[in-house]
Amino acid sequence: RFKSSTVKECIHAILKEKLANVQYIPEEMPQLTESLSETIKDRLKEEGFDRYKMVVQVVIGEQRGEGVNMAARCFWDADTDSYAHDVFMNDSLFCVVAAFGCFYY
Amino acid sequence: MWMAITEEWSAVNKEITRKDLTETLKTSGVETKRAAEQVTSADQGVRRPGQALTLSGGWLSAASQPDSQNEDQKHREKTFQKEKSVHDIDTHKHEHKDRGKSKERMRERFKSGERDGDKMRERERGKEHQREGDRERYQDKLQESSLEKERYHVPKDKDRESNRERDKKHKRHEIKQIDTQTNLKSFEERDKEHHRRRESRHHLEEEKTRSEERERRHTEKKDKDTKKSIDKFLAYKAEEGERVYKLQKDRELDKEGERRHREKKEYSVGPGKERFSKERSHKRYEKEEEEKHKLKRSKEGSSHGDREGTVRDKGKLIEKEERDTRQEEVKDTRIYNSDTGFDNFSANYEDDFEDYEDDFDDDEDKSGEERGAEENLREIPFSRTSEIEEIQRAISAENDRICTSLSKKIENVKKEPIMERQYPSVRNSSCGIFMDFQMANQRQSSRSMASKQKKRSSELLPLIDLDFSVSFSLLDLPPVNEYDMYIRNFGKMNTKQAYVQCNEDNLERDIQTEEVETLEKWTQHPGESALVSGGEEHFNRILLWTYASLTPKIDSQRLANFLRSACQVIAVLLEEDQVATQPRWKLRSRQTSLSISDSCFQLNTNQPFLHDRKISCLCVSQVQRQTLLSVHGLPEKAGVGLLHRKSIICVWNIWQPSSPQKVLICDSEVICCCFSPNKTTLVFAGTIDGSLLVWDLREDSRMHPHMMISETDWTFRVPTFSTDGILNSVNHTSPILAVEPVSTSLNTDQNYGLSSLSYQEEMSGPPFQIASMDENGILNMWVVVELQKVDLAGSQTDLGLIPGGKVKLVHSSAMELNNSLFPKDVRQRMPQTLTIKFLSSNPNHFIVGTNIGLVGHSTRHDLKVLPKLFRPQESGLRSISINTIDFFPFGKPLFLVGCSDGSIRLHQMTSEYPLMQWNDSTNGQPVIALQWALTRPSVFFVLDASSNIYIWDLLENDLLPVAKQTIPSENVVTMALLGEPEKTNGLLGLALAKESGEIDIQYVKEKWALPQPGESEKLHLLLLQSF
Repeated sequence: RFKSSTVKECIHAILKEKLANVQYIPEEMPQLTESLSETIKDRLKEEGFDRYKMVVQVVIGEQRGEGVNMAARCFWDADTDSYAHDVFMNDSLFCVVAAFGCFYY
Repeated sequence: MWMAITEEWSAVNKEITRKDLTETLKTSGVETKRAAEQVTSADQGVRRPGQALTLSGGWLSAASQPDSQNEDQKHREKTFQKEKSVHDIDTHKHEHKDRGKSKERMRERFKSGERDGDKMRERERGKEHQREGDRERYQDKLQESSLEKERYHVPKDKDRESNRERDKKHKRHEIKQIDTQTNLKSFEERDKEHHRRRESRHHLEEEKTRSEERERRHTEKKDKDTKKSIDKFLAYKAEEGERVYKLQKDRELDKEGERRHREKKEYSVGPGKERFSKERSHKRYEKEEEEKHKLKRSKEGSSHGDREGTVRDKGKLIEKEERDTRQEEVKDTRIYNSDTGFDNFSANYEDDFEDYEDDFDDDEDKSGEERGAEENLREIPFSRTSEIEEIQRAISAENDRICTSLSKKIENVKKEPIMERQYPSVRNSSCGIFMDFQMANQRQSSRSMASKQKKRSSELLPLIDLDFSVSFSLLDLPPVNEYDMYIRNFGKMNTKQAYVQCNEDNLERDIQTEEVETLEKWTQHPGESALVSGGEEHFNRILLWTYASLTPKIDSQRLANFLRSACQVIAVLLEEDQVATQPRWKLRSRQTSLSISDSCFQLNTNQPFLHDRKISCLCVSQVQRQTLLSVHGLPEKAGVGLLHRKSIICVWNIWQPSSPQKVLICDSEVICCCFSPNKTTLVFAGTIDGSLLVWDLREDSRMHPHMMISETDWTFRVPTFSTDGILNSVNHTSPILAVEPVSTSLNTDQNYGLSSLSYQEEMSGPPFQIASMDENGILNMWVVVELQKVDLAGSQTDLGLIPGGKVKLVHSSAMELNNSLFPKDVRQRMPQTLTIKFLSSNPNHFIVGTNIGLVGHSTRHDLKVLPKLFRPQESGLRSISINTIDFFPFGKPLFLVGCSDGSIRLHQMTSEYPLMQWNDSTNGQPVIALQWALTRPSVFFVLDASSNIYIWDLLENDLLPVAKQTIPSENVVTMALLGEPEKTNGLLGLALAKESGEIDIQYVKEKWALPQPGESEKLHLLLLQSF
C-alpha cells in the first residue's frame, strides 16, 4: 500500500537535508531538481513499494513574492493509487515535491 | 547437451591444433636455441654425473668440498662460458626491451613465452647440473604420464646428442672468446644464471604437473581427437623431421603459454591485462634490481676470492630460496586457480582458449615486424654458428609462410571474440540447433505468458475504474504584499531604520510606566483559627466570617480591663519608687503625722486647677478601698478658660498620691457623690441644681477636652450622662443632698424575669440602681443602663448623653419621703430629709436622717416596717439635724447616728430607741462625720466641727472616746476611712479633707486597726447588757 505519510516523511527528510541552506541560483536549479528527484525516487524504492510505479515530480521556484498555485489532477484508480507531496520553503526558494504511486495490477 | 559439448570440443581441438602450429612456429626459434643449450647441459650431465651431484650440494655448501676444487673449477668455467652465451641473449633481450618500449606490452607477452623457454632451458640445464637423478626421475615421470612424450623422448635425446655435439663446438668457441673476461663478471653471470635457473625450476615443475594433468585429460577425454591431431603432427614431423619433436615440445610450451595466459586472465578479470603486464614488468624490474644488487655485492665480495664468493653465493642462494618459496606460494594459488579452471574444463577451456586467441590476434597483428626484430636480435648470437643460422632461416621462412595463412584465418576469427566478449552466451545459444529449440521454447513460453497476462488484464480491467475523482492542490503560495516584501528585503540587509522630524520643537514626549501592582493581604493576630491570613479574593467572605464568628471572641473588654489595672499597678510602682527617691514627701508626712496615727501622707492636691477650691465631700469606693473621690468646689475667684465656673471631682488612687487618676468636671456645684457599687467604673454625683451626673471612667480620654497645665496633659472628663435633659416631672428640682448606690445583687429572688439582662454583668457587674434624694424629700430611683451601641453622633432621645457615651440613667421610680415616711404629727413640723442610707444587707430598706432628730425607716416598695421612726432617748421633737449615719459593717443591723448637737446614738434596726447614746462626748460640737472602723467592729471614728477626731473603742470604754486628736492647723471639712476589712494587715487609713483643699491620709495606730479575737462576741455581749 502506498502510504502517503511515510512517503511524505521520506520526502521531507530528503528536502530538509538537501535544501537546508540552498539559495536560488537559476543555473544550478535544473541539476538540483534532477538529482533531487532521483534521490527521492531511489529512497522511495528502498521503502519497498514493489508493486508501484513511482513518479516523482520536483518543482523548485524562486521566492520573489509572487503568488504561485500548483495543482495536480490524476487519472487513476483512487482505491490503490495515491500520492504524497511536501513543500519546502526557505527565504529564497520554494520546492514542491509530489510523488505519485501507481499500482501494477 | 552432450551434443553441443562434443561439437565444441571438436572445434576446440581444431583450434588447438591450429594454435599449436602457430605456437610451434613462433617458438621454434627459441626452441632451437634451447635445444642447443640442453645439449650442452645434457652433455655435462652425462660426463659428470657425480660432479653434478656434488655440485648440487656444492651450491649450498661449496666451501665444504675442497677436494673437488679442480673439477669444480673446470666445471664452473664451462658453465660460465655457457652462461655467457645465455647472458648475451639476455643482454640482447634487454636491448630489445629498451628499444621497443612502445610495443612493450605486446612484446612482453611474447617475450615472457620466450623467456619461459629460456628459463625452461636453463632450468633443465640447472637440473642437469644439480640433480641428475632428479631429472631422470622427472623424465621417467614424464614418460609414464604421457605416451607422446615418451615417444618423442628418444628422438629428443638423439636430437640432443647431435645438438650437443654442435653446441659443444660452439661453446668451446665461446670459451676461447670469453676467456679474457674477468672472474668477477663470471661470478655475476653465474649468479644471474643461478637465480634464473632457480626461478625457472619452479615454473617448470608447475608446468610439468599441469601438462601432465592436461595430457591425461586429453588422453582420457578426447584421446581420439588428440591422437588424430598427434597423427597429424606426426605427419608434419615426417615432413619437418626433427621439428616434430619441437612441435610437440612447443605444444607443451604452447599449453604453458596458454596456462600463463589463463593466469593472466585470472589476474586480468578485474584490472585487465595492463595490470598484469605491469605486474610482470614490475617483477622483471624487481629481478633486475636484484641482479644489480647482487652484482654490486659480488663486486664487493670479488676481492675475497672464489670461496667467499661462493659463500656469498650461498647466502644469496638462501635468499633466493626464500624468494622462491614466496613465488611458490603465489604459484600455488595459481595452480589452485588453474586447477579449478581445469575442473570446469569444458566450460572454461574454450573461453580461455578464445581469449588467448584474442590476445594472440593482437600479438599477431604486430607479429610481423616483431618477428623481424626478434630474428634480427637472434641473428646476432646465432650468426656465430652457421648451422643455427640455417635453421633460423628455415624457421623464419616457415614462420612467414604460416603467418600469412594464419593471419587470414585469424582475421575471420577475430570478429568472433569481440562478439564473444560481449555476448558469450548469446554466441553459444545462437550457434546451434539446441539454441533454436531454446528460442522456440522461449517464444512459446512468452506466448503463453502473454496470453495469460491478456486474460488477467481482461479480468482485471472491468474491476478497475479510473477516474479524475480528485484534484490535489500541491502548493498555494499567496502573493506577498509590497510591505512584507520590503520588510523581508529590508531585514536581510544590514540596514537600520531612522526617522527625522524637521519641526524639531514639535516633538512629543511621553513616558509610560508600568502600573504599580497592588495586592491586598490581611493577617489575623493572634491566629485563633485555621484561617490566619488571606488575600483579596477572600476579602468579602472573610468579612462575613469575621462578623459571624470572630467578633464575639474578641474580649476587648477584658483586654481593656487588664490594661487598665496593669497600668495602675505600674503607675503605683513608679510612684512608690519616686517617693522613695524624694525625701521631701516623707518629711512632710512626718510633720503632719498625728498622735493617733503611725504615719501619714498627703495626696498631691497641689495641682494648678485645684487651687483655691474647697473640698466638700470625700467618698471611698466600697469595693476598691484605695480609690478615693474628692469633690472640689467652685473657686472663690473666677477661673479662666475651660475650668471657669466648674466644679471638679478628682479620682485618686491612694497608692499613687502624686496626682489624681482622673479629673472630672461639671458645670454646677457637686454636693454629694458616690461610686458604682461593684466596680469603680462609674461615678455618680448630685449637684446643687438638682441634676444627677454620671461619669464613665472607661471612656476614652480622647472624647474629652484636654488642657496642658504645667507641662502635663490633663484630661477633664465631662459627665457621660446628665439628668438635665430628663423631663422635669420626674427630675429633681432642688439640690440633691445624697446619692446612694442600691445594689440589686442581694435580692436576686426578686429579680426573676430579668435574667435576660444578665449580659450586663460582663460590662459592669450586676445591675444596680442609683437613689438620689433632694431637699424636698423626693427620692428618685434610677436604673443604670449601659448602651450596647455607641452613637458617636449623639442620641436624639437621650439628651443628657454625651456623644459616644455608653451609660445612661433611666428613671425608675420616685418617692415622696415626707409624706410616706412621717406620721401626721411629725409632718406638721415640716421635717426635712438630710441624709439617706440603704441597708447593705437588704437594699430595699433605707433610713433617712432628718433635721428634727428623727431617723425615718422605710422601704422602696412602701411596705410597712417597724419601727417606723428611730427616736432619741429624749422624748419630744427637737430641731436636731442628723448629720451622718453609718451602718455597722460587720453584718449586724446596727447604725450610728451623729447629730448636730454633738450627740452620738447607736441604734439597732429592730428598736425605736437607741441602744446607746453619748450626748456630750464632743463638748457640744456638732458631729460632722462618723464612721465605723473597717477592720475592728468595736471601734468608730468621730469628727466634730472643730476638727477634733475622737476614737471610740466600745470594748475598752463604752462611755467616753478612748482617744481624741485635734487637727492643729486647719479645719477638717470631712473625713473618710480607708481600709480593707478582708485583710488583717492593720492598715486603716483616715482621709481628712481640709478646708484649704489638702487631703491627708493618716494611718491609724495598730491598736485600733488590728482586730482582736472574739471582738464581735464581746461587742454583742456588751450590747446585750446595755439593752
